[in-house]
Amino acid sequence: MAGCTDLMVGWVSGGLSVPERAIDVSRLAELKEIDERADRIVVGGGVTFMAMRQSSIVPRWAPALVEAAATVGGYQIQTMGTLAGSMVNASPAGDPAPTLLVTDGTVALASHRGEREVPLGKFWTGYREIDRRPDELIVRVELPKLAEGARERFRKLGPRGAQAISKVMGAYRGKLNDDGTIEEFRVSLGSVAPTAVRLSNLENWLKGQELTPELIDEAESRASREVEPIDDIRSTARYRQWVSGRLVRGFLSDLTSPA
Amino acid sequence: MAEVTRNWRLNGDPIEVSVPPGRRLLDVIREDVGKTGTKEGCGEGECGACTVLVDGQAVLSCLMPAGQVPEGAELTTVEGLERTEGGRVLQQAYIDKGAAQCGICIPGMIVSSYALLSYVEDSPDEKLIRESHAGNICRCTGYEKIVEAIQYAGEQWPRDERPTATSEHGR
Repeated sequence: MAGCTDLMVGWVSGGLSVPERAIDVSRLAELKEIDERADRIVVGGGVTFMAMRQSSIVPRWAPALVEAAATVGGYQIQTMGTLAGSMVNASPAGDPAPTLLVTDGTVALASHRGEREVPLGKFWTGYREIDRRPDELIVRVELPKLAEGARERFRKLGPRGAQAISKVMGAYRGKLNDDGTIEEFRVSLGSVAPTAVRLSNLENWLKGQELTPELIDEAESRASREVEPIDDIRSTARYRQWVSGRLVRGFLSDLTSPA
Repeated sequence: MAEVTRNWRLNGDPIEVSVPPGRRLLDVIREDVGKTGTKEGCGEGECGACTVLVDGQAVLSCLMPAGQVPEGAELTTVEGLERTEGGRVLQQAYIDKGAAQCGICIPGMIVSSYALLSYVEDSPDEKLIRESHAGNICRCTGYEKIVEAIQYAGEQWPRDERPTATSEHGR
C-alpha cells in the first residue's frame, strides 16, 4: 500500500476485506525518483501526483501527465496518492492511464526474482486486471520525452471542475510534418472501455493526412465508432461515444492551433 | 493486528500512541488523543473536513492509517494553528469575512488555508485559492466568503511563516 486513497475507503466501508498484513511502501526513497535521461524521463512508482506537479522534469517532458495529476482529487489526495497506486488500482476511470499510454513508454516491475519491463500498452489487460505478479512492485515508468515540435494534452469531462470521477477523459500526443500533414497522432481515452484504450484504427488512418476541417469531422465520427463504452452510474454509452468524438476533435484542433 | 507504538509531536507537544497500524489517523486524533477539533464528514476522502498537516503537508486523516505516520512526525490540527501567528491571522480573517456558518468544514478548511499560505511566496490569487481548496467541501456559505477570508489573510500573512522551511510537498 502507498497513498491508501482507494484502499482505506474499501477497508473502512467493508467493500474490501482487510488484509492480515500489509506492507507500506509510501516512504521508500527508491520509489521516489524523478529523473531525466537522453530520450526519456523516469518517474518512480512512489512519486505522488503533487510531486509530479512540482517537479521541473515531468511538466516539461510529459505535460499531459501533469495535467492529469492536477485533476486527481484535491490537493490532499494529490499529496497522498501515487502513480503506481493509480496504475495498480486499474480503474477504467484512472486519470493518468491515457497520458501514459500515448507516450509508448514502459513500466518496470520488480520482485526478489529480478526486474522486468512491460510496455504500458500491455500493462492493463482487462477490467481492473494488470500484468503484475503477486510479489511484484511497480518501481518506475519510463516515458519517452515529448519531442521537439510535438504536443500533448489531457482533457477530462466530469460533473464538476475539481475532485470528480471522469465520465470520459483522454489524452493525445501528436506532431505535424513541416507541410502540415500529420506525422503522428496518438490518442487514448479512458472510461470508455474496461481499460483506457488507444484508438489505433483512427491513429493509423490519420497518419500522413492533411489536417483539414473535413478530416477533423471524419475523425470525430470515426472516434465515436471506435469506442464501445457502457452505461453506468456516471454516464451513458451514447453520451460517452459522442464525447469521445468531441475530445478527438478538440485534440486535433489543439494540434493545429496550440491554445 | 499487533499494535505499533509511535512518538509524534501533536501541535508541538510530544505524544506517544500505541494503536493498530490500520487505525485511521482521524480516530487516533479524536478518540485516542481526545483532540476533537478535527471533524469527520464523509469518511471517504471526498469532503476534506478531516484535513490535518503531517510534516507540513495537508492530508486526509480519514484515509491515512496511523501506522503510515512515521516516528517523529509533526502533526498539526486546527487546535495547533492557534499557536501560530498565521493561524491567528486566518482565524480572525474567517471571522471578519463571515466565512464560517455551521462550522463543520472549517477546521479542515483552515488547515488547507494554512498549508497554502505557508507554502506560497506571495498572496495567492483567487484561482489558486479555489484550486487548493477544491478538496474541502462547504455546504453553507457557497465559498465566496471563504475565498475572501483566505485572500484577506494572505495579505496580512506573517513573513516568517512563508514559505514553511520544513514543507516539502510530495514526499
